[in-house]
Amino acid sequence: MLNPYRVLDLTTECGLLSGQILGDLGADVIKVEPPGGAAARQLGPFYKDESDPNGSLYWWAYNRNKRSITLDIKTEQGKTTLRRLAKSAHFFIESDMPGTLAELGLGYADLAAENPALIYVSITPFGQDGPKASYADSDLVLMAAAGPLILTGDDDRPPVRLSVPQAYPHAGAAAAAAALIALYESLQSGQGQHVDISAQQAVAQATQSTLLATPLGEADSQRMSGGAKLGNIPIRLIWPAKDGHVAITYLFGSAVAHFTQRFMNWICEEGICDAATRDTDWVGYGAYLFGGSQEAIDDYMGLTRIVEKFTTTKTKAELLQGALDRGLLIAPITTSEEVVASPQLAAREYWQPVEHPELGQTFTYPGPFAKFSASPITYRRRPPTVGEHNTEIYIDELGFTAQQLADLTTRGIV
Amino acid sequence: MAQALAGVKILDFMWAIAGPASTRILADYGATVIRVETTTRFDAVRTVGPFQTGKPGLENAGLFYNMNAGKLPVTLDLSKESARDVILDLVRWADVVTESFSPKKMAAWGFDYESLRTIKPDIIMLSTCLMGQTGPRAKFAGFGNLAAAISGFFHPTGWPDRPPAGPFGAYTDYIAPWYNATAIMAALMHKHQTGEGQHIDLSQAEAALQFLGPALLDNTVNGRIQGPVGNRDQNFAPHGVYPAAGDDRWVAIAVENDAQWQALCQVIGHPELANDARFATRTARLANQEDLDSPIADWTRQHDMLAAETQLQAQKVPASALRTMKELYDDPQLQHRQHFVELSHPQHGTTTVEGSRFKFSRTPAQVAGGAAPTIGRENSYVLETILGYSEERITELVAAGVLE
Repeated sequence: MLNPYRVLDLTTECGLLSGQILGDLGADVIKVEPPGGAAARQLGPFYKDESDPNGSLYWWAYNRNKRSITLDIKTEQGKTTLRRLAKSAHFFIESDMPGTLAELGLGYADLAAENPALIYVSITPFGQDGPKASYADSDLVLMAAAGPLILTGDDDRPPVRLSVPQAYPHAGAAAAAAALIALYESLQSGQGQHVDISAQQAVAQATQSTLLATPLGEADSQRMSGGAKLGNIPIRLIWPAKDGHVAITYLFGSAVAHFTQRFMNWICEEGICDAATRDTDWVGYGAYLFGGSQEAIDDYMGLTRIVEKFTTTKTKAELLQGALDRGLLIAPITTSEEVVASPQLAAREYWQPVEHPELGQTFTYPGPFAKFSASPITYRRRPPTVGEHNTEIYIDELGFTAQQLADLTTRGIV
Repeated sequence: MAQALAGVKILDFMWAIAGPASTRILADYGATVIRVETTTRFDAVRTVGPFQTGKPGLENAGLFYNMNAGKLPVTLDLSKESARDVILDLVRWADVVTESFSPKKMAAWGFDYESLRTIKPDIIMLSTCLMGQTGPRAKFAGFGNLAAAISGFFHPTGWPDRPPAGPFGAYTDYIAPWYNATAIMAALMHKHQTGEGQHIDLSQAEAALQFLGPALLDNTVNGRIQGPVGNRDQNFAPHGVYPAAGDDRWVAIAVENDAQWQALCQVIGHPELANDARFATRTARLANQEDLDSPIADWTRQHDMLAAETQLQAQKVPASALRTMKELYDDPQLQHRQHFVELSHPQHGTTTVEGSRFKFSRTPAQVAGGAAPTIGRENSYVLETILGYSEERITELVAAGVLE
């Protein structure tokens, strides 16, 4: 789909996913790394737990379908070479702090002067401007600054993070969508533009609009053990099973009442609730609960105790099977190992074998993000080793002589 | 200046969060999106908060408005026989049809991709649901909290000695929109190059798993299961959420390199730690991180969370106060970025949604119409102006209960 397009990917660990998505869709993505390799290659976990720039699984996760060159863009020759590459590129993606590349003469205005159709995507923690634009950041800091962190965790402990980093993937995936919108526009206008991605604003999506509480006049949402308080309403989301935990959407109102009715039927069949409770008007119960009276909240808490009494009599597998057979909103809380073994993902041939010839092994990677009927995503390249494509790109494509490349290498520019 | 996606026409049958949030992105940049809902079973997010005025109500629907601002809201009851011709006319109008029903539902109505392409050969159709259109769990229904649970997002979220905490809300609903929007744009590019439409089968779970890539590879490559670790990080220390002055107030601090560590020691008044070999390198700090929590927390407890953030950031230490949802409205950065956008509303005067989450230098985002997507607001415009229906035809449709 994006086969005609070339991407220069200068991102740090903050933006790696964006280039990978464009690469998955067929673009020629050139990852430009500093000599010695990108800092993101120092991030674990590592293959066999051995710290090695070519063995970072963080790197592997976000750099397939890319080629790698090394280039010191702080040197004059490095800048000239990068400008030359940017002249024929369609996308330039970077994630340095605002202004850093402009200081090197590699900002949007500099590159657009020679390639007006260039789409220049900047991914930063807080966006290109504003009082926090130069703030130091991390995944945890962005999850705090954007809101989701305070909503997560047990109420008697500090808010807690999803320990696999999420903020930069949100920013990177947002950047891919934005880049394609800008590309579509450039087909009409022949002009590129500067696309400014704020990780904070991208991650704010994960507050489920509760950050609108002040302008809407709604109560604050809060973290809660086993769920969350939406406004004043304590919504229980996690229940114990015999052998672990399950997530259940136990909600009410016209859109979901039929699920809750079927669930209550099952609970009743097993003798854990009475018929009168089972036959509650589950459509009307939504407005009753969200009305927020203490009586309604107490009644709801009573229901959650009934549900808990039921779930503790079943295994996760029994509850999932019940959900599939009866059409219920129940899912087991699943480990990465169980995800990898999922019969659903197997049936859809999700997992992809990716050969790493440098290690003499083939590894199982998460599969394409979507199935396209006419133009399927393929994994054409495993994540590149440091500067793997220097010869291919500098000599075969840019026309450097072997002597020139050797010279640049000696001088530490490549 | 024409908007980026001016002329792109999307017929949107998606509901809840993950689907509508993706067409919201495209609407912000100028796509014309007809958002179909039915009054016979309202979208679930009209009945879940946040609500305007804090009270439930179909037109107090803060969450629905935020997901659907800038679209053309129309009401159509797809289950009515005479809705069929209206739908097919809308398909002829559209470049893209999107739906997030459970698999086979569109086929049951005769609106699956194979049927639609017979009347519009180059149509692009996106079908998105939790587990994908095929496979033994294809009909597994639910929201993003269930996809998150079954896809491994809950297990590494929480404390080792407690039940899982799980990420907040319908978590995969916040990942899928990026991928849905990207997939639609990629298919539009493919059509631009080849003239060909196609069907996209986007499983919310499969798209979301991209965000667990390092942990999944840690399992397939190393055989490890990453579990709950509180706020610890496998690469960095100190790394935590520390108590600030006041009740239930917190500040997040993450030290990623030696310079930040040196700076932190000065800010918290422990310059001697900067020279302590136990903490001199990233590896050493990871090994001895238990010893770091007390000196940091002793300092944070004495400081207001905003003051702590300011002092730490002044020395380039990654830190953020944990503002509540109500307080985030006053976050100076979000305000500077004009993150909050007011729309007109017939009952409330105005309501507020979030703006685009990124900025374009030449063709900026805007919420078309500037009005909240209230129920059936654009029925007349869509039927009269877009489809060119006569007054008689529309009267017939009303009588047949199609516009419900």
